[in-house]
Amino acid sequence: MKLPMKTSLGLSIALLALAACQRTGSMNGKTDADVKLTAYPERVYWGDTHLHTSNSVDAFAFGAKLGPEDALRFARGEEVTATGGLKAKLDRPLDFLVIADHSGGLGATQALYDAPRLFIRDPTLLRWHDTMHEGPQGRLKVTAELIDLAGRNALPEALRDVEAQKKRTTKIWTTHSSIVERYNEPGKFSAFIGFEYTLMPRGDNLHRVVMFRDGKERTDKVLPYDPGQGDTPVSQLWDYMDAYTKATGGQVLAIPHNSNVSNGLMFEMVGPGGGPMTAAYARRRAAHEPLVEATQIKGDSEAHPFLSPNDEFADFGKAGWDIGNLTMQRKSTPDMQAGNYVREALKRGLAIEARTGVNPYKFGLIGSTDSHTGLATGDENNFFGKHSGVEPGPARASAPQNLGNTQGRFGWQYLAGGYAGVWARGNSRSAIFDAMLRKETYATTGPRMTVRFFGGWDFGKDALKGDWVKAAYAAGVPMGGDLTGPKGAPKFIVSALKDPIGANLDRVQIVKGWIDAGGKLHEKIFNVVWSSPETRKAIGDRLTPVGDTVDIATASYRNTIGAPQLATVWTDSEFNPAQKAFYYVRVLEIPTPRWVLFDVLRYKAKLLPGTRLKDQERAYSSPIWYHPKG
Amino acid sequence: MMLIELAKRLVREPLVHFLAAGALIFAVWGGGSDVADRTITVTEAQVGGLTGQWEQQWHRQPTPAEVDGLIRDLIKDEVYYREAVRMGLDKDDIIIRRRMRSKMEFLVAAQAENEVPGDAALQSWLDTHRRDYATAPALSFDQIYVGSDPEHARLALAQLNKGVDPATLAQTLSVPSKLDDAPSGDIDRQFGDGFAKALAALPPGRWAGPVTSGFGQHLVRLRKLTPGAVPPLASVRKAVENDWREANRVARENAAYQALLDGYTIRIAKP
Repeated sequence: MKLPMKTSLGLSIALLALAACQRTGSMNGKTDADVKLTAYPERVYWGDTHLHTSNSVDAFAFGAKLGPEDALRFARGEEVTATGGLKAKLDRPLDFLVIADHSGGLGATQALYDAPRLFIRDPTLLRWHDTMHEGPQGRLKVTAELIDLAGRNALPEALRDVEAQKKRTTKIWTTHSSIVERYNEPGKFSAFIGFEYTLMPRGDNLHRVVMFRDGKERTDKVLPYDPGQGDTPVSQLWDYMDAYTKATGGQVLAIPHNSNVSNGLMFEMVGPGGGPMTAAYARRRAAHEPLVEATQIKGDSEAHPFLSPNDEFADFGKAGWDIGNLTMQRKSTPDMQAGNYVREALKRGLAIEARTGVNPYKFGLIGSTDSHTGLATGDENNFFGKHSGVEPGPARASAPQNLGNTQGRFGWQYLAGGYAGVWARGNSRSAIFDAMLRKETYATTGPRMTVRFFGGWDFGKDALKGDWVKAAYAAGVPMGGDLTGPKGAPKFIVSALKDPIGANLDRVQIVKGWIDAGGKLHEKIFNVVWSSPETRKAIGDRLTPVGDTVDIATASYRNTIGAPQLATVWTDSEFNPAQKAFYYVRVLEIPTPRWVLFDVLRYKAKLLPGTRLKDQERAYSSPIWYHPKG
Repeated sequence: MMLIELAKRLVREPLVHFLAAGALIFAVWGGGSDVADRTITVTEAQVGGLTGQWEQQWHRQPTPAEVDGLIRDLIKDEVYYREAVRMGLDKDDIIIRRRMRSKMEFLVAAQAENEVPGDAALQSWLDTHRRDYATAPALSFDQIYVGSDPEHARLALAQLNKGVDPATLAQTLSVPSKLDDAPSGDIDRQFGDGFAKALAALPPGRWAGPVTSGFGQHLVRLRKLTPGAVPPLASVRKAVENDWREANRVARENAAYQALLDGYTIRIAKP
């Protein structure tokens, strides 16, 4: 009997697959409730909220072989084999990870790749199938086309049919959440369930990472939300989030990213449809999007020299990214820039608040990788590339980079970085998520500096002595908080400790933004504490540069300049009690070699003229907002 | 519903892709389809499978005519498949060869992935990988930061040993001045790589050092050192199972390939 044997074999495999889906429970059998929380946040937890695996359409097409399990093992500090065959291991594990695969076409390229050729009728899909099977170059080509078509609202019908994709998505989503549960270890490592919402009308980037506070038992009741192509309003994402909360009692937040390639749409002054933003709309945005990802591989979105001409450090991670939107379908024009950068958004929020009473852009800051390799690497000496097509090798630094068209952006313009620092009361999904809601977070471009920031009215001379952190929590508010007053001029405690295995610190700055009585927006950067103050003097707003110990030939630097720690209590002497304002901290390291120099050293990479070889890496804290009472 | 329309609809369905591909593989791998055989037998189980898929797709039972349509399509598949293999269409097609290989690999991997290990297997894994699961040594200590100069640090140590108050010698650094039962990994995370190891080598109960951190020089008083230990299986079961499964998957893939490879004589002529 031949045929029944086939059937039973098929059935047994199907049942086993089902069994695999149903394995749940955390790694150590603990729940969040078993994690002892400290009275106040005593330590910063490091993570990446934005990692793609082979379940992302583009990541798979770029060749990524690493799925969620490899990604989690790697983030926890175990060695894995990268897609390109190199062994990879983080020298310091992360504390948490959000795998955020694109919801749009979740698993679709893999399904297309795996589909029997005979069954593919759509000529475009058939061509893609064949091209992908030609090898890595073919996959790159298909990905570029796919992103390009998605931006043009022209994907083949088979990839747009929501119902037809639902089954595949369900299977991938629930299998994925089972894997995440297996690696979640309350008290030690928090594995979050999430996805990326990839809205990009005409290539303008309006992407968000969506992350859940909850486990599989809740998240399996929904599917990751896909806005489809075209110009659907972001409020539909918030509707989805509200529906999730209502149906499950769980919690979820959204984190916008890559505002730098949104062509002004990420932080608009207007509401949907172009009219003035309403209070209701502003309130919804602020409630659903408490954080912004300010820095990542595809550039840095903190500030831009065009908007902040007096900021000598605003050019970090801007080259190549400020010339057009994500797919380069539309070039950027100067009027768009203000809607692209975080500092400007914080200012715009004050203006909208002055008009409506609600600040839509009252968010905290984090960094993350947006790596499409399954590897959450944030350091210059371990940069595994934006995607698996550009894992370490001699050619990547000078290759045109392949998002949509290949005009004007090159490999070296990718940044090795972005991590999120979170001041939580313990390491669990709930503790970290709640800290994110409080905005007690900061962004770094990769190095793990420890940054504390408190605002208050009563910090005394001993504010940095002894057990000062506990006292600061008692007497003031941490980053992400609000000061209402006035009771004199506000004081700020800022303390920055270098990455224990990284570079010394150059300086600590406080960036202030405010709105005057006439509704005009302002910003100013204060150098508040710096290394070697005996030899480095402030001339006007500028400070003598810290120097430079980078040795190009060996891709190294020495900590003979800078300081391991910078801390001070700073008072805003220009304070005007009638003006709403925000303050955030920017910490700068001394110059260090960029990842391109490691490629030169290891692979004899040839660099293009103008390639940036070194940079001052940095951290951005969440702001503290000042509101006049009454 | 015309047969052709149904087929078109089904081919857009990824689940169908998977099942169809699966059927193809079982046909070859399981020795199910004998391409020389001129008899095609459609079993009740197969018809049940077809109607089940239909119901999933359309949320109703197929009519008898629709069932006949599904069966006709199944037969058509089988006829074309056998004829194609007879004509050798699978032989020189690189895409088909790659598909066959990846499906074989998938089958082997899926079986390994779903195996549920027993206590004995996991205990044995734990026993042979004790170091991977051992808890980290934990240390209790006091420390002061005395800047970057080792010579200055040695002078400060001499003063400490004469009874000078540590607080008067310490420079400000926002790392904890004391830690209790801190795992070595947490210590290294805050002070830099190797700090905990250097601490563990100090004589306990008195000020000693200096110990170099990522920030500079520290003087340290080690109060307690608890060595790492291997926990019982119950408390690390999930971690052991994760690792066992991962290693098992790789080993099985290799073994499965080796078993097939062993059936071949390989001759290689290199120029």
